[in-house]
Amino acid sequence: MSSRLIEILTSSFFKILIPGIKITIPLTVLSFAVSLVLGLLLALVQVAELRFIKDIARFYIWIFRGTPLIVQLFIIFFGLPSLGITLEAFPSAVMAFGMNLGAYNAEVFRAAILAIPKGQMEAAYMIGLNYPMTMMRVVLPQSFPIAFPSLFNNLIGLLKDTSLASSITVIELFTTAQQIAARTYEPFALYCEAALIYLIFSTALTWLQDWIERKLKWKSGGSEDAGNQRTA
Amino acid sequence: MLEIKGLHKSFANTGVLKGIDFRVDKGEVVAVIGQSGSGKTTLLRCMSFLERADSGYMIFDNCSCDMTAVSKKEIRELRMHMGFVFQSFNLFSNMTVFQNVMEGLVTARGMDKEKARKKATEVLEKVGMINRAEFYPGELSGGQQQRVAIARSIAPDPEIILFDEPTSALDPELTGEVLDVMKTLAKEGTTMVVVTHEMGFAKEVASRVVFMENGTVVEEGTAGEIFSAPKNERTRQFLSIS
Ligand SMILES: Nc1ncnc2c1ncn2[C@@H]1O[C@H](COP(=O)(O)OP(=O)(O)OP(=O)(O)O)[C@@H](O)[C@H]1O
Ligand SMILES: [Mg+2]
Repeated sequence: MSSRLIEILTSSFFKILIPGIKITIPLTVLSFAVSLVLGLLLALVQVAELRFIKDIARFYIWIFRGTPLIVQLFIIFFGLPSLGITLEAFPSAVMAFGMNLGAYNAEVFRAAILAIPKGQMEAAYMIGLNYPMTMMRVVLPQSFPIAFPSLFNNLIGLLKDTSLASSITVIELFTTAQQIAARTYEPFALYCEAALIYLIFSTALTWLQDWIERKLKWKSGGSEDAGNQRTA
Repeated sequence: MLEIKGLHKSFANTGVLKGIDFRVDKGEVVAVIGQSGSGKTTLLRCMSFLERADSGYMIFDNCSCDMTAVSKKEIRELRMHMGFVFQSFNLFSNMTVFQNVMEGLVTARGMDKEKARKKATEVLEKVGMINRAEFYPGELSGGQQQRVAIARSIAPDPEIILFDEPTSALDPELTGEVLDVMKTLAKEGTTMVVVTHEMGFAKEVASRVVFMENGTVVEEGTAGEIFSAPKNERTRQFLSIS
């Protein structure tokens, strides 16, 4: 490796890492927060069988899962201004990623809610809980640990998908790598370097996931598999 | 205390309950017996509105009502005075034994935490589970889980408790501990409806026995009448094979 290349790689590492920390990570975190709230709402209205609202939720999920993310991004950033709604690049990206992933997380939450034995809901009703109480106290606390691995999987996917924001002028990790690659004529080295930084971020997320899963298991006191009954 | 008249229920055009008249007086223990598929579970589920009747009239608590027209709010009010013990226990697996028992008091009835704690301790002592109060359901045997489920249902002092085959999901050596708890409740004058295949329990504890077949009540009477001198041919057959 030439000393010029080493020089380029070392000097660009932090130039790419910093927008990664300042833009890519906040973009990921904010979009994920939007997708969690939206996904949970979309799941709840479906399992509650709220007649008309449920159909809206299904329609929403159909649209956002059935069209490409980059097209959604373009519609929000380049398309909405012609309807008189102009958003800056960063909020456009948060909106597109959040709304897109919200559709996927809705399905994750829905499956996790339906996985809770119906008998526990009936028992909750019989001791006098109403539907919202039953969801809050019995169903959702058990659904979160079930949903968790899939949600985290989606989070790691989102981290990488935020690179698409480069196409709507957000100066994030990948945009920066592109700019340096164009200036130095070292695309191979710089894109590999960008990939490495994404890999560092996603590895950190994987560790975080392992750590939280250990906590969740510990907290539920091994009660997840009721089949494993211990006679005391 | 509780009375039901003309209860009908069908699933997908198959009649499961075909005009049930049923009453329970205060302090009575009514055992409901009958073959598998005769509609015993469905009867309890309609009484507690876990299943909606197709027609029927119910008198219970402040309610004297058409069972098809009861509102959600009225159902919840009825359930505040009614306990249900399920065949499959249905404890909340995210809560400890203590939390399971306190839930109906604190969350549903807004009872003060300290008061609820005292009440939960009291009922857990009664079912012999106080030494497992901090365990999660997954860490208990089936018999222990069912005793906790009974504690959970009696904690709010319901006027009546419905039991749906409380020992059927248990290994034979664990049924005794659950039946013992139920006998204690019966002695204390708790009003109970018990769907059961435990004929010994019915004979010993029930003040009245109801025999169901094919969605109807075929015969009812005191335990003595039903077990020693059943009038109906079908009842005789059922008791001779079981
Ligand atoms: N949700 C349901 N959907 C369709 N059919 C049902 C449903 N619940 C019960 N049935 C039918 O109703 C009939 C009576 O069922 P039920 O569970 O009340 O009987 P049971 O007397 O409790 O029997 P067992 O002693 O086996 O518990 C059965 O033929 C059953 O298949
Ligand atoms: Mg049954």
